[in-house]
Amino acid sequence: MGELPFLSPEGARGPHINRGSLSSLEQGSVTGTEARHSLGVLHVSYSVSNRVGPWWNIKSCQQKWDRQILKDVSLYIESGQIMCILGSSGSGKTTLLDAISGRLRRTGTLEGEVFVNGCELRRDQFQDCFSYVLQSDVFLSSLTVRETLRYTAMLALCRSSADFYNKKVEAVMTELSLSHVADQMIGSYNFGGISSGERRRVSIAAQLLQDPKVMMLDEPTTGLDCMTANQIVLLLAELARRDRIVIVTIHQPRSELFQHFDKIAILTYGELVFCGTPEEMLGFFNNCGYPCPEHSNPFDFYMDLTSVDTQSREREIETYKRVQMLECAFKESDIYHKILENIERARYLKTLPTVPFKTKDPPGMFGKLGVLLRRVTRNLMRNKQAVIMRLVQNLIMGLFLIFYLLRVQNNTLKGAVQDRVGLLYQLVGATPYTGMLNAVNLFPMLRAVSDQESQDGLYHKWQMLLAYVLHVLPFSVIATVIFSSVCYWTLGLYPEVARFGYFSAALLAPHLIGEFLTLVLLGIVQNPNIVNSIVALLSISGLLIGSGFIRNIQEMPIPLKILGYFTFQKYCCEILVVNEFYGLNFTCGGSNTSMLNHPMCAITQGVQFIEKTCPGATSRFTANFLILYGFIPALVILGIVIFKVRDYLISR
Amino acid sequence: MAEKTKEETQLWNGTVLQDASQGLQDSLFSSESDNSLYFTYSGQSNTLEVRDLTYQVDIASQVPWFEQLAQFKIPWRSHSSQDSCELGIRNLSFKVRSGQMLAIIGSSGCGRASLLDVITGRGHGGKMKSGQIWINGQPSTPQLVRKCVAHVRQHDQLLPNLTVRETLAFIAQMRLPRTFSQAQRDKRVEDVIAELRLRQCANTRVGNTYVRGVSGGERRRVSIGVQLLWNPGILILDEPTSGLDSFTAHNLVTTLSRLAKGNRLVLISLHQPRSDIFRLFDLVLLMTSGTPIYLGAAQQMVQYFTSIGHPCPRYSNPADFYVDLTSIDRRSKEREVATVEKAQSLAALFLEKVQGFDDFLWKAEAKELNTSTHTVSLTLTQDTDCGTAVELPGMIEQFSTLIRRQISNDFRDLPTLLIHGSEACLMSLIIGFLYYGHGAKQLSFMDTAALLFMIGALIPFNVILDVVSKCHSERSMLYYELEDGLYTAGPYFFAKILGELPEHCAYVIIYAMPIYWLTNLRPVPELFLLHFLLVWLVVFCCRTMALAASAMLPTFHMSSFFCNALYNSFYLTAGFMINLDNLWIVPAWISKLSFLRWCFSGLMQIQFNGHLYTTQIGNFTFSILGDTMISAMDLNSHPLYAIYLIVIGISYGFLFLYYLSLKLIKQKSIQDW
Repeated sequence: MGELPFLSPEGARGPHINRGSLSSLEQGSVTGTEARHSLGVLHVSYSVSNRVGPWWNIKSCQQKWDRQILKDVSLYIESGQIMCILGSSGSGKTTLLDAISGRLRRTGTLEGEVFVNGCELRRDQFQDCFSYVLQSDVFLSSLTVRETLRYTAMLALCRSSADFYNKKVEAVMTELSLSHVADQMIGSYNFGGISSGERRRVSIAAQLLQDPKVMMLDEPTTGLDCMTANQIVLLLAELARRDRIVIVTIHQPRSELFQHFDKIAILTYGELVFCGTPEEMLGFFNNCGYPCPEHSNPFDFYMDLTSVDTQSREREIETYKRVQMLECAFKESDIYHKILENIERARYLKTLPTVPFKTKDPPGMFGKLGVLLRRVTRNLMRNKQAVIMRLVQNLIMGLFLIFYLLRVQNNTLKGAVQDRVGLLYQLVGATPYTGMLNAVNLFPMLRAVSDQESQDGLYHKWQMLLAYVLHVLPFSVIATVIFSSVCYWTLGLYPEVARFGYFSAALLAPHLIGEFLTLVLLGIVQNPNIVNSIVALLSISGLLIGSGFIRNIQEMPIPLKILGYFTFQKYCCEILVVNEFYGLNFTCGGSNTSMLNHPMCAITQGVQFIEKTCPGATSRFTANFLILYGFIPALVILGIVIFKVRDYLISR
Repeated sequence: MAEKTKEETQLWNGTVLQDASQGLQDSLFSSESDNSLYFTYSGQSNTLEVRDLTYQVDIASQVPWFEQLAQFKIPWRSHSSQDSCELGIRNLSFKVRSGQMLAIIGSSGCGRASLLDVITGRGHGGKMKSGQIWINGQPSTPQLVRKCVAHVRQHDQLLPNLTVRETLAFIAQMRLPRTFSQAQRDKRVEDVIAELRLRQCANTRVGNTYVRGVSGGERRRVSIGVQLLWNPGILILDEPTSGLDSFTAHNLVTTLSRLAKGNRLVLISLHQPRSDIFRLFDLVLLMTSGTPIYLGAAQQMVQYFTSIGHPCPRYSNPADFYVDLTSIDRRSKEREVATVEKAQSLAALFLEKVQGFDDFLWKAEAKELNTSTHTVSLTLTQDTDCGTAVELPGMIEQFSTLIRRQISNDFRDLPTLLIHGSEACLMSLIIGFLYYGHGAKQLSFMDTAALLFMIGALIPFNVILDVVSKCHSERSMLYYELEDGLYTAGPYFFAKILGELPEHCAYVIIYAMPIYWLTNLRPVPELFLLHFLLVWLVVFCCRTMALAASAMLPTFHMSSFFCNALYNSFYLTAGFMINLDNLWIVPAWISKLSFLRWCFSGLMQIQFNGHLYTTQIGNFTFSILGDTMISAMDLNSHPLYAIYLIVIGISYGFLFLYYLSLKLIKQKSIQDW
């Protein structure tokens, strides 16, 4: 202590000293009464193994080559500082952020260590310590800013008092200047809403609800215009001043931002070419013989200086050598050695505070499910267009059929049997399709939101799936009842209330099965259009094979007959056929002698058609219902399993 | 004398410093040695002059009609509203000559896009309230613009499966005068490839976001090359560097700068250029809210703003700094008012300073005024024309070039071909094995009828989606090429129809042949050929329906929805789902238009006419004439040959609709609305 007599606690906290000298600042933390948090990254390297060729080329598939994405990167940053990581596309910026925050996939090999206040974290602690704002803003577009933040708070924190959430959300919105848009809908690109800068701030606000001490942002200015980008960075610098560590990656920052960063790091091909303060950066490159020209953006100049030009082989070799030279110069510089010293000192000092975890006190599984269910329902109800389409789609399809058919007849010469068969075929074919359309339109956005939020540790993906399933059920029931009420009586199907009930129940199941099957496939396939095609193809095939309307089941080849038992269309069609044809009588319009000339007259009673199309279906009526409705929980369970696997695959 | 010596010393020092800085900057971006062919514009000098331009943008017309319907607005009523109009450009004047590159910079909403629209005559969303555009001393007309001005758009579309050389060769066939020989066309293509440094990738596919091909910068240069082929004197580019990395962007602007020095007039619009790119400009026009803040040499912009009290900080990009200085801050009302006032005062100050200058450029020293006036006077009296009127290729040449391009692009797209083939094959096998007929039992009548119906009814589902998707991916390219006058609707129409026939034939063969033999339909060669011909016609008819809908409706989803609605109508009225006797008047008419109905009728007649059929009911076995069964389903109202004629007629109806849509409806892609 005698060696540092000029330092005093008041002096160490003075703002002029903070800006002037990082050395005294960092040393001051040792003697200050309030020590600051620190983050150290020590000799981090990351490589992945890639196969040389595709799987059908066995020889090249067995060969592997290692690709080094990060190479011996070391950084040090303290509370109150904002660091900018510069680099061109493919330089490893995002990988470095993922390495620091513990989000790297286990498919690669990670070496080196990450220290928070000198302590190394366990794998499960990374999520609780670091806050990560991704490049893309994904929100439910029909919620307001306040609602979005409130639901996020309810998922992350558990309090009995509603006032707690209100205060928390209002404080965060005030801090990020979002109060004036608090009651505006988030919206989307096509339907207005808040501006892109405001959306970015909502992303940041969602992370601030848990009061993180270390924040990471990947390309926070991408897609924003110059003024908005400037505002975002100034805001982040202000957040850092309030006892936080902020690390951002920016592809091409603007010159006005040069003075706002406390530290600047430059990555090229995964190697650290420079890390230090803006003044140190100018000095370092000046010493290497590359002063920044006047009236130039230092970010532009130094990033071009440290980039590799791949437009031709000669240029690539030339620029790569220059980068190597700069990197060696940096590794031998005082700045780099100071970084290593700071990391080592932080590891072995005992007076540092403990690891600053985020505030985390989440509700239980059913509590989260309740919040998710409320959120997804409110989001749908706000979207009037989606609600109307959900309720009315089947009705539109039904009106379409009514327009063509008007009313079924009992005269076989006028197509009584033919019309009924065609009608039932169309109904069983269309209701899964409308369910699929609902899922394809509404679910991918929810999936994107949950992919992001489950990585933040708010909940698991299967809980979101279950919330979606639960919120779908009432709408599907209402839609089916509306549709069957109009169509059953208008088309003149068997005039009995009980049969109308069976009819509605029989058509509700394929509608739900179509939607849930789409959910299962959306858990596997990323592209909704591909899922659209797959479900349509599965529906057509299932209807052809299982219904018995198009191909007589008794005469079908054995493998396809067996396959038919696995289609829900089989059971649905049997129910509908029995429901409609049982007890029905047909007329022929002529005398008995015309039977020889009119083969349609062979059927005089509905029971004959039932026995011909699906023999024994009458006695299986109840079993068919049970099997048909058994598909629904089976698909839900399958979906939950698939989304659990998805959780595991994305997080591993 | 002493003052003059001191002045010269200062100039010399400035030159040394500037050269040193430039040398250091160039060391980062040392491009290829300039030893290749230098393709200079051989025409006469060009001038582009904008005088006192005020332009009004109609915001309501920017929203397409179907989106207005979606918002429950009445389209024609909102047009008359005055609130939807605002001034995009206010009182702008400038003049540029050949050999110069003018960069228009400014923040979002400053009027750059409107200015380019006005100059190129594509301002469909507004109107010029006052002012004039002059090209080579003549008032601007669409014909003059087409003859002299090349416009490279920000989102230019190129066919992804053609190589760079092929892309340029096709445009050369279309755009160069018919008096050019093939050797001259090829030489022109090679010259452009050399000029734009595209030799390394001349035989590489152009590609797009899905197909791997040339790099982003190279693709941008191909877009420029497409316009350079016909040797324009004026080149206008909209945001040419967006989406490119720094090296590529720098090299691209270097190329443009060289084009300008080769006696061309280059005009580019940029949001916010980087400092190294900013140095490459000759002239800069800085705009905000449609008013000019600065127009003059790029190297003197800092000097100008310093003289009016806004020096540029040392480590700042001048473009960044001054675009920020003139940006409108819309975070709150007070800030917006303050920034608008500041921008307006800067604009007024600039207008005051350049008053009286003929070319509206700010200059550091006023004594050059006389020389400039003299030069301008000489230029104005030339009254030059952009070369003689050349005769472009006729419709026959356009058609042959287009069909070759169509077939080349289609057959390079191997993944799509494989997917379509797999679709047809999969459908074929599903139906074939479902109705497998090589067993002890013959197919029953109802099963055979169902089979024949499904043969015609299932395939449109895939064909519609495929054709609509492909048409809409080509739609924006088609729009630009038609707008540029590269060709007219007729040649494209015929090239499209005939160019897709090979794929169509392959598709039908893969689909129809396995079904016929797997299901053991009547094994008579004549009947099989009749069957195949009818399926071919029906698939073709379906394809023409999809083409017509794609040309008629502007978005993929609308076209798909419309096609599927039509398809479902034809499906229900085909005679299998609903008995034809039960259709009332409106569906009956739809049924007459339904190619599925005629397909079903035809296939049934082919299979059952003149054929004894056995059916079993209980213990009795009946032998019934096929004709009787067909009559019972009301499917023999027309003879077989009439059915072929009807399907052909329906196809021609859709083809006519397609041609009318191409000719009358702008093929604008949804992104451009």
